[in-house]
Amino acid sequence: MVEADNRVPLDWDALEVGETFEKFEYVLTQEMIDEYRRGVMDSEAAFPTISHKVDVRQFNAKYSDNGSVNARCAFHCYNSPIPGKKLTVTAWVADKYLRRGKNYIVTEATSVDEDGRLIDRVITHELKQPWEVGKKWEG
Amino acid sequence: MGRVERSYWEGDAVGPLVKEITQEAINLFEGSAGQSGPSQFTDEEAARETLGTSGTVASGRMSISFALELMRRHFGSDVFNHTGTVDLRFIRPVRPGDTVTFTGEVTGTSREANGLKVSVKIEAQNQRGDTTGVGSGSAIVPNAFLPPEE
Repeated sequence: MVEADNRVPLDWDALEVGETFEKFEYVLTQEMIDEYRRGVMDSEAAFPTISHKVDVRQFNAKYSDNGSVNARCAFHCYNSPIPGKKLTVTAWVADKYLRRGKNYIVTEATSVDEDGRLIDRVITHELKQPWEVGKKWEG
Repeated sequence: MGRVERSYWEGDAVGPLVKEITQEAINLFEGSAGQSGPSQFTDEEAARETLGTSGTVASGRMSISFALELMRRHFGSDVFNHTGTVDLRFIRPVRPGDTVTFTGEVTGTSREANGLKVSVKIEAQNQRGDTTGVGSGSAIVPNAFLPPEE
């Protein structure tokens, strides 16, 4: 059975900067960390949280759109996560802007572990017309 | 590991760090977060539909991971994993088969309440010499990790 898509179609004009999403929780396992480290070919990589895309997860759970391309991303390190600990992510819409006729949305998120350790902060600028870059890249 | 004392000067080279990008590496990166469905990163058809590209691309977040490694290797994990930042703009796609070289250069230092902030310019180039990403990073080096002032 196909699950119903209850997401709201994204209305960029109506989207409010500052909208904060429901907290998202997950447990970072050693297996996730190992797989991430193999993927980035770095046995000491300390922030596998980056691959979880937690800053856009709740956004994508709420809104449906035509996809996106990551145009810019900033990452702040505070404490490397400990395997087996539950992480709680708070994410919000930090900004939105129009540049050269293209719509961008900036999401931001912080992750904190179950002991209250601040783990990281990630800020992502997503272009909401992904086919525009495809045309440029393939042109 | 013992604490390493060192100085930081404008113009200091950071890196390089070279990464060979494979579809397997991209799949591992995506899979590590439990993302098993087809996406523009793992599936050519999905990439064609979403981006209009002829093949998959690597997530910009992989480039962030590589920039984090570049910086961590320079500053050490004791410093960088607690105070480090990277900020990259993605200029061109990174595709399976690409070899991407990340380089950095110290652009300045400033005194902060908790140490010396070292700012770094970061660039990523593919094997054709095209810039795929550009941006900056920083770390705040505690005074205890710096040589004593004369």
